[in-house]
Amino acid sequence: MFGKLLISLFVVIIFYHDPADAQKKKETLLSEKLTQMMEWASKRSVIRMNGDKFRRFVKAPPRNYSVVIMFTALQPQRQCGVCRQADEEFQVLANSWRYSSAFTNKVFFASVDFDEGSDVFQMLSMNSAPTFLHFPSKGKPRRSDTYELQVRGFAAEQLARWVADRTDVQIRVIRPPNYAGPLLLGFLLAVIGGLAYLRRHNLEFLFNKNVWAFSALCFVLIMTSGQMWNHIRGPPYAHKNPSTGQVSYIHGSSQAQFVAETHIVLLFNAAITMGMVLLCEAATSDMDIGKRKIMCVAGIGLVMLFFSWLLSIFRAKYHGYPYSFLMG
Amino acid sequence: MAEHHAVSDGKHKASTNAGGSVHGNSRPGAAGGGGGKGGLSGGLTQPAGWQSLLSFSILFLACLAGFSSRLFAVIRFESIIHEFDPWFNYRSTHHLTTNGFYEFLNWFDERAWYPLGRIVGGTVYPGLMVTAGLIHYMLNLLHITVHIRDVCVFLAPVFSGLTAISTFLLTRELWNQGAGLLAACFIAIVPGYISRSVAGSFDNEGIAIFALQFTYYLWVKSVKTGSVFWTIGCCLSYFYMVSAWGGYVFIINLIPLHVFVLMLMQRYSRRVYIAYSTFYIVGLVLSMQIPFVGFQPIRTSEHMAAAGVFALLQAYAFLQYLKDRLTRQEFQTLFFLGVSLAAGVVFLTVIYLTYTGLYAKIHIPIIASVSEHQPTTWVSFFFDLHILVCTFPAGLWFCIKNINDERVFVALYAISAVYFAGVMVRLMLTLTPVVCMLSAVAFSSVFEHYMGDDTKREKPPAEDSSDEDDKRNSGNLYDKAGKVRKHVSEQEKAEEGLGPNIKSIVTMLMLMLLMMFAVHCTWVTSNAYSSPSVVLASYNHDGTRNILDDFREAYYWLRQNTDEHARVMSWWDYGYQIAGMANRTTLVDNNTWNNSHIALVGKAMSSNESAAYKIMRSLDVDYVLIIFGGVIGYSGDDINKFLWMVRIAEGEHPKDIRESDYFTPQGEFRVDKAGSPTLLNCLMYKMSYYRFGEMQLDFRTPPGFDRTRNAEIGNKDIKFQHLEEAFTSEHWLVRIYKVKNLDNREPLDHKLRSVVPKQKYTSKKTAKRKRGHIKNKLALRKGKKLQKK
Repeated sequence: MFGKLLISLFVVIIFYHDPADAQKKKETLLSEKLTQMMEWASKRSVIRMNGDKFRRFVKAPPRNYSVVIMFTALQPQRQCGVCRQADEEFQVLANSWRYSSAFTNKVFFASVDFDEGSDVFQMLSMNSAPTFLHFPSKGKPRRSDTYELQVRGFAAEQLARWVADRTDVQIRVIRPPNYAGPLLLGFLLAVIGGLAYLRRHNLEFLFNKNVWAFSALCFVLIMTSGQMWNHIRGPPYAHKNPSTGQVSYIHGSSQAQFVAETHIVLLFNAAITMGMVLLCEAATSDMDIGKRKIMCVAGIGLVMLFFSWLLSIFRAKYHGYPYSFLMG
Repeated sequence: MAEHHAVSDGKHKASTNAGGSVHGNSRPGAAGGGGGKGGLSGGLTQPAGWQSLLSFSILFLACLAGFSSRLFAVIRFESIIHEFDPWFNYRSTHHLTTNGFYEFLNWFDERAWYPLGRIVGGTVYPGLMVTAGLIHYMLNLLHITVHIRDVCVFLAPVFSGLTAISTFLLTRELWNQGAGLLAACFIAIVPGYISRSVAGSFDNEGIAIFALQFTYYLWVKSVKTGSVFWTIGCCLSYFYMVSAWGGYVFIINLIPLHVFVLMLMQRYSRRVYIAYSTFYIVGLVLSMQIPFVGFQPIRTSEHMAAAGVFALLQAYAFLQYLKDRLTRQEFQTLFFLGVSLAAGVVFLTVIYLTYTGLYAKIHIPIIASVSEHQPTTWVSFFFDLHILVCTFPAGLWFCIKNINDERVFVALYAISAVYFAGVMVRLMLTLTPVVCMLSAVAFSSVFEHYMGDDTKREKPPAEDSSDEDDKRNSGNLYDKAGKVRKHVSEQEKAEEGLGPNIKSIVTMLMLMLLMMFAVHCTWVTSNAYSSPSVVLASYNHDGTRNILDDFREAYYWLRQNTDEHARVMSWWDYGYQIAGMANRTTLVDNNTWNNSHIALVGKAMSSNESAAYKIMRSLDVDYVLIIFGGVIGYSGDDINKFLWMVRIAEGEHPKDIRESDYFTPQGEFRVDKAGSPTLLNCLMYKMSYYRFGEMQLDFRTPPGFDRTRNAEIGNKDIKFQHLEEAFTSEHWLVRIYKVKNLDNREPLDHKLRSVVPKQKYTSKKTAKRKRGHIKNKLALRKGKKLQKK
């Protein structure tokens, strides 16, 4: 009797409250999700998600925030070098957003690692990492919600433009200043200063011409072998042909170069310079005549050999160059 | 080829001289045999007479070789101004000679940067124009009537001869006369310098390198002598340099650096004090006379190092003065250390700031789009300098090993120039002279030891001792080369030399290297640097030559067939040429001072036709000119430059233009069917390929096959609504389109609704009762049609 009454009452209540209750429930769910997301975001600017979290907070319908997700594979055994770089850029972007004054709960940044949420990868039928996807607050993701990684690269600025494009949230990318360079320089200067101070009664080494001449030569050789180009352009060290497995150290075109190639050229230039210096030393030094003759022959040999070698490399790179010397 | 012989000839002469002078020393009797010149025989019996005659003739031959090896383009084509910037320089020189100097200084050019215009007089370095104008004026004064164009074409080769002379002078101050002659020969033919100074390349750099070298010569001279006379000469030369090229900043930083390093090395002397104080003040005042430079020397960070060093030098000199009066040495050295450290920190920060500024500039799209601003690969070093780039470190080594005041200078010059050349290809130009000098030092010290007689082997020419001499009596070390040779007889060693065989082998091989250098230089000059780029040439299989003169054809068409005030839109590369050759108003040109204006043109080129039409209407464009290389396979055309237009436009209008829209989903830039639809419908694409789809170039390829990009174009059915083709040159290289005026209102598709009023109001008044009427006038009744259908 009492039970029946209760049940009927319950049924009545349910029937009576149903539409408004669903609305309320949805709202509570939404605010719950939002507070949860905010809590995570306050801990880490990039929320780490696994399959469950992804389904609950990104896939499940009531949602009024957009989520930018990086699908990646950061575990060392996956050996994804690009993922690591992309992750750094993504962190920079997320941090710039997290600590900017315009931070709101409209956009969240999250990442899904393959080893934690491989089911998500299967669900979205994705087979490459890293991938950036944007899940808009309303509607389904469209084609342009997939970031074109190949075209635009993964620089944080490019990502920010994409995000601004998709969500109307402007993020000014602020990179954390890199203190390593100045610190290292300061450390080096301190070491040099300390050494100079320790040896202040014996500063002869500062007047050693050989040291100065040698360091000047090093600088000049580094510059003339195109290391500055390497520094700005960042070419690969050498190129390995994927089909034959053959490694080529010399770039085929005259417009570009590999790092290995510039090292070779640096060595060759240094050898020619040394040959010239040896030639002069041989003629002017006070050593006995046999040694001087050897020096002289070695000097001219170095100059000739390495110059013709250098010329042949140049000829291989600069198509249509007609001249060669000693070596084809 | 005549040039070739001249070049290698000069080379031989130079190489033999370095040792030849030693010969002359050892056998002075031989000189008496040169008997033909009776009057001179008194002078020629002395070795010095032979030496100066030889040096003079070698220097003369070097100048001649330098001049003639720059004439490839004139001989192959004609006496014509090359490329892009020279056309502007030519145009302003023409303006200068026709309207006078003051008119030129006040020139406001309303034909460029429409509708903004450009103040030319205040935004150019006038040295080049004034030099050419002055030469033209002098020649006309002497009744040698030449056209100003010829003066402009041959200005750079003439100045390269002068550069050879000033390089000779500078190297002689640094090392000896033999090295000087070698350096003169090197600089006369080295491709790194020829690239900017072939006949017809009428550009600032052509005269600036002469000014640079001459300023350095006079600076070294004034540091050596400490006389105000030489310093004033240095300032005047510096003034000329400032008026000629923006690269004067290199001088105003290198000379203070030299002074600073000299102070650090405890090589401070009164001579340095006098030279630098005079140079800084007079040079500063003179450089501010150039309108374009104005107050920059006291405001911008590039010039702050000079001011800092000036202050430091005064403080140092004051301390030196005090030192003589006071005894507390410890305190003073401490003070000096503090001052120098502070100065060093300031100096380094300034350099760091300039460096970051430079670095930032590289990454702005408009700057990055210019190929001259790229970093340098080792191939371009080798291409431009050949053997010199491998041997000049040896010269640097010798200089530092036997250091003195002026060698400090050349070492700093080398190190800073090599750094800048590494950062930017264009600055290879400033590296070239110092490479020539130091290589000459290296080669000449080898030849000095290996070309002489074996029996007379002496100690190394005792540079150190002579340096000491230099410092003592700095007045008369003008003739150092001669002095060194005097040691020959004094210090003979009983020890035997390397033997004649080895010596001659070494000499032969070295000569061979130099010959290869001469051959390389000639080849590079002839093949890489002697194309006017206004006129193109192609070679058939049998070696005959086709001249493609499309550019001039099109510009002349514009000149003849369009309104005098017509405004031509093109990408900025062609702005100067249109202004110079077609004499029409341009929107943007190579003086890229207004990025947003360029971006607007880029946006017009990369939008679809109707959007572009709006932009073009708002800019009052009458004609659009584009370069299209698809027919002949010319790779420098606008489609290949197109991505830069998109990028620059995107930088200013990111809402409307997106670079990614112009790529395929795979991230490729393709013009065929797979290309992105945005690309296939943008204005540049349509203008380039209009009617191209009907054209079959040969039987192996389908119609509409683009030879430059090796693809069949994707959009063959191109129709224009707001443009019409006005002109296409013979090989389709230049295409000009006319922008139509606004259309008449379009007729409606449906008929107008015929409104027939239901009730016609007719006045009850008869004609007579109306207020008044004119006799015999056609009586019109309002509200009634004349005819009814």
